[in-house]
Amino acid sequence: MGSSAQLARLLEHPTIWRGASAAHAEGLASGFAALDACLPGKGWPRAGLIEILVPRFGSGELYLLLPALAALTRARCARWCVWVAPPLMPFAPALAAEGIALDRVAVVSGARPLWALEQALGSGACDAVLAWARRPKAREIRRLQLAAERGRTLGVLFRPRRAAREASAAVLRLGLAPMSAGVRITLLKGRTAMRGAIDLALRG
Amino acid sequence: MDPRILRAARPADAWPVRPAPSTPPRTVERATQAGAPGRELWAGMHLTENDPAGKLVQLGMSAQRFTPRVSLAPPDGLLLEVQGSLHLFAGVAGLRGALLAECLRLEVRPVLAFAPTALAALVMARAGKSLEVLEPAQLTGQLAPLPLSSLRWPEYTVARLARMGVRTIGAALRLPRAGFARRFGDAQLAMLDVLTGRTAEVRVTYRAPERFRRRRELGCELENHGLLLVALAPLLAELGDFLAARDLGVVKLECRLMHRHAPPTRCVVRLASPATDVQRLTALLGEHLSALELPEPVRACELAAAALVPHRPESESLWQPGERGGSFGKESCDLIERLRARLGAEAVYGLTRLPAHRPEKAWAVAEPPSASTHRAQPGCSADSAPARRRPVWLLPAPQRLSVRDGLPRRRGPLRLVSEPERIETGWWDGDEIARDYYTAVDIHGVHLWVFRERAAPHDWFLHGVFG
Repeated sequence: MGSSAQLARLLEHPTIWRGASAAHAEGLASGFAALDACLPGKGWPRAGLIEILVPRFGSGELYLLLPALAALTRARCARWCVWVAPPLMPFAPALAAEGIALDRVAVVSGARPLWALEQALGSGACDAVLAWARRPKAREIRRLQLAAERGRTLGVLFRPRRAAREASAAVLRLGLAPMSAGVRITLLKGRTAMRGAIDLALRG
Repeated sequence: MDPRILRAARPADAWPVRPAPSTPPRTVERATQAGAPGRELWAGMHLTENDPAGKLVQLGMSAQRFTPRVSLAPPDGLLLEVQGSLHLFAGVAGLRGALLAECLRLEVRPVLAFAPTALAALVMARAGKSLEVLEPAQLTGQLAPLPLSSLRWPEYTVARLARMGVRTIGAALRLPRAGFARRFGDAQLAMLDVLTGRTAEVRVTYRAPERFRRRRELGCELENHGLLLVALAPLLAELGDFLAARDLGVVKLECRLMHRHAPPTRCVVRLASPATDVQRLTALLGEHLSALELPEPVRACELAAAALVPHRPESESLWQPGERGGSFGKESCDLIERLRARLGAEAVYGLTRLPAHRPEKAWAVAEPPSASTHRAQPGCSADSAPARRRPVWLLPAPQRLSVRDGLPRRRGPLRLVSEPERIETGWWDGDEIARDYYTAVDIHGVHLWVFRERAAPHDWFLHGVFG
């Protein structure tokens, strides 16, 4: 038996934890193969805060997430999908048409989006929390990131493009620009070396 | 007043009023004890003068925790039938400890006695003896030295008996039955029979009221929210006992704060799931109170459980929520309640779809989903989706767009990229629409859902945004 085979057998021992496996955390398939290939963990993180930076509201950022949200809400033991302070009313028939189970969707409006977001992220009752916050500070984003890890929740924060200059504790930051038949995604921050732009066709 | 536990059977005396004495060997006794259906053991409590008034009902309420057969003997007595509960408290000694601990919590120090008949237990407690008589055979022997006054007969009867030299229960029991009944009345003889277990006694079981409303006058006027919560704590604790005694949960809690002049301030806590936990209620009430503005200092507070529902405790799940399908019902209810407590009830809602073609009427706000509701199987929910694409965002009301050369504009000219979709419906309820919807793209590449009225085709409106 070669030494490499022996080593492999040794490493199969359940009590051995390898640092490399941490980087390959189980991801949530985004529904776009080209995007999955670039994301760390081959998909959206299941726990943690991500930021999507858009030039303006309605640039296709939601369609980027809808396949993943549909899969999450339709899972057998799905937790909630909470929308915190959306700028407009989510249109229920459209969400249902995209495959999202409406009985797992809750909307939180109100005066304190960041507080509500932190509560939802840290509660452990949500699979995903989408939030539109006005101007979160770097310290607040750090808190949100910790809350998301505590509640094992995917938090998505939509922010304007100009926020790219600010530092952020989010595990993943994507820049997004609308194209004629889709979006161009730039990976601004992530735990992989992958950089550059990906073009996705969103609207069929 | 050390409890004396009597195990050994005493030789029977030949008392005329007493039931036929029998002292079977211990082994046989054990067997009958397990199998005898009618066997009872009563715990009698007597509140002394030092105990505050009004504690009896409260004690009766918390005593429901020990047995369902609780009976009040006003003004100062309480009876519990505990034979069935003994094994839960590791015997009489354990039960005594638990009962006394409960009394200590309510700040009363009653005398507690155990006897096979209710009246005997009560009489022993009234006489100030915390005896534990477990065997019916020993009952009369233990009752004999107790003073007649603890039976609470009329003064006149007791005085007459005393003149005859009858001052203890034992002496009264030794009197001939027929003569006793003739001289002192059948009621007194019947009471002696009940006392010794010769005839069975029917006691009314205390059923606590199914409404909860308690008021507390404050010693001073309070303005501080934190202190208010402290002032409410005894009421909340009482509510906890109330709920635990009945296996009820509260879904709506109302707190009224009284002022000197201003009308009472109301504070209503609505719960997503029936709550029994006092700590959870306290936290939520504190959250609500902190958001409250008091016109004046508070002089009294009142707590009322407006809606009570049967509570069925759920087992905790092995997995953490979200992990391997672990249940998250508790977390989701907590989240909803916390958000609603701070932001208001209408700030948290769910969405539902309605079968209508008019976009404004195709959805509605719903109660947030509760985790415990049974889910429809995934896969059958998208069956009635509209054939055409709908935007993910809908404007609260259509927004008029400026028009140049017959085409709509929004921060620049819009480009129509789809075939028109006509929605013409609603003529039956006066809310008729006749519109041609288009998908349009603005100069920044944002996809919009616009329409024009059939009646006025030059007016363009924005109605939705594709995410």
